[in-house]
Amino acid sequence: MRNDDIKPDDLIASIKSMEPAEKQIELVVRLSNKATRALHYIADVRATRYDPNTKTLMLSLSDEGRQVIPGAISKLPVFRYIDPGSEAEIRLGVPDRVIKLSRTAPPGELAFETHQLSDVQEVIVEVAWADVPFYKETRPCIKDDARLPAARWEQHKARATKRQKKSPRPKN
Amino acid sequence: MATFILDDATGVGSDDLDSAGAFVDLAIIANDDGIGLDDPVGGMQRVTYNRTINGPPQVRLDTLVNTAFTPDYGNGPQNVDIIVIAGLSGFTLDDGTSFANNGTALAPASSGLAGSSLNSTENCLVIYDTQQTICVARDGTDGDIDLPISNPVVLYHEFSHAFRIVNNTLLALTAECDPSSPEENAAIVDENDLRTDIANRQGVTPELRDPGIHCGKVDEDCSSCCIIATVVSKSLASPQVQFLRSVRDHFVRSTEVGHAFFKQFFRDYYWFSPQVCTIMARNPSIPGLLLEGYINPLLDFWKVMIERSQQSMSNADLGAAFVRLHPDRAQAESRRDALHRTVSYWLNHGANDSEVPAELIMLLRERAWPSAHMQWALVAPVRIYYGLLTLYLDGTNEDAIGREFNRALQIWAPEIPISDVWASLSAEQVATELEFCESALLQSAGNKKRFHERLRHRFHDITSVGVVLNGLNGALGGVR
Repeated sequence: MRNDDIKPDDLIASIKSMEPAEKQIELVVRLSNKATRALHYIADVRATRYDPNTKTLMLSLSDEGRQVIPGAISKLPVFRYIDPGSEAEIRLGVPDRVIKLSRTAPPGELAFETHQLSDVQEVIVEVAWADVPFYKETRPCIKDDARLPAARWEQHKARATKRQKKSPRPKN
Repeated sequence: MATFILDDATGVGSDDLDSAGAFVDLAIIANDDGIGLDDPVGGMQRVTYNRTINGPPQVRLDTLVNTAFTPDYGNGPQNVDIIVIAGLSGFTLDDGTSFANNGTALAPASSGLAGSSLNSTENCLVIYDTQQTICVARDGTDGDIDLPISNPVVLYHEFSHAFRIVNNTLLALTAECDPSSPEENAAIVDENDLRTDIANRQGVTPELRDPGIHCGKVDEDCSSCCIIATVVSKSLASPQVQFLRSVRDHFVRSTEVGHAFFKQFFRDYYWFSPQVCTIMARNPSIPGLLLEGYINPLLDFWKVMIERSQQSMSNADLGAAFVRLHPDRAQAESRRDALHRTVSYWLNHGANDSEVPAELIMLLRERAWPSAHMQWALVAPVRIYYGLLTLYLDGTNEDAIGREFNRALQIWAPEIPISDVWASLSAEQVATELEFCESALLQSAGNKKRFHERLRHRFHDITSVGVVLNGLNGALGGVR
């Protein structure tokens, strides 16, 4: 009897290390596949979200929630796969600060919020995955689905959290 | 009111914004003395343009700068200015999208157009990374993504979107990049107007982007200055550069591990290469020294390595391949002299050569030689070649040269820098990558054994690497 159903927690992620580097923060994320089949996942940061109230940094290896906007290029995620029962690691780098348009500026004023990630207290990494490889949408038009292609593909997210004991300081 | 460059704003400093770079990009688009900037008011500098040229980019820029746009997005006409935000490392939108290596034009918040919910203002924001290293699809190649896109072209691409946003004529925008959406297709067609205009100014054939493909990638090789291209012919189309590209695309980057190797290689290479080009521009004698003293020997070494990767070569074969590179003895002697200077003064960190500026030696010491990738791919091969050429000119026969060549490869080949990417591969991929490394580079049993040891030591807790190496041990007694 064939038993290759996947469960949402078949891919387990953990943050092995988080180190400040030159103008960026580097993380190593360890992945473990508990399923009986290969799992396919996104291996690069697609969205960086920071909550200054809780000092929580979310690195999303997923296109879910990202909007379609005009741009110079479209870039698909980096996809990889992990064998059943295997461990793997991915290395991620993000700038050491996040700058956003301010939502609290007076009407008509263009203002920003700058957040230094050296203040981060909690880091969350979420990794989008599926039990099949990403494949290009070949239907001519999916008018009712505004999601990015990789957001349509993903089935689950593995989530890892790490709390900082103290502010990271740059290596000498 | 119409177009401004953001120079300062609450929450960021003027140092964070590349307003000077934005104006340079505008000036390149215009190529017209009529372009200018007013003094800053409230952190913004208004762009002025008294156009004297009638090309498509100039006419478009004139319209953007000198029109008061009052689009009606459904709530009655409203004034919309275009604000250029350049640089700003670390900038992200509310949905988490980063603008490193990209650009965008955000429609006003109340417009309801694509991206408007990410804009907190009622202006059209043109945002772009002035440190970008993007490649896009080259027209006429069926999708080869190897065409550089310069900062002025990125800015002009976003101006194309901005033009339709402020006129409320934005076309359909979808998430697919191949084929590109109507909106992106139109922006690429406009982008090609600027590419053509700039090429015409320089008297060269325009290199155009495929409007049907919006896919792109980040690649340092697509931009900035390449030392080798500068030295050999000032062109990325020279035979030497084409050879290296061929090695890169068909030999090295055809695999995951090779791709990762080159990614780090290029990252390290472009840490010093642009500055070397600047120094060469001030010191016209350097390219001559580098050509025979470094670049041609390096290319010849890699030619033999490619030949070796394609067929089994005995010592005599390897020696003969090396000797065939030197049909002219006088030229070989001249090259040895040039190599002697390079190896003594440039690569050995030794006493300064009066022909070479101290700033260049310092730059190479600080940025190039500490890189394991530079040492393995660019320094060690030239040392090996120098030793072999000296043997050849001393009268050593082909067989002995080949033996010495193999001995040098035994030390050099298995020490190739190992990338983290091995840890993210499946067992099948590890096996495939390892097989390629062994056939193309390692070849001898000793080389394979040493490389396996290094992989095992580095990835002792990675399942896939362990599975493959243990399998090789079990099946073949440790050395395949």
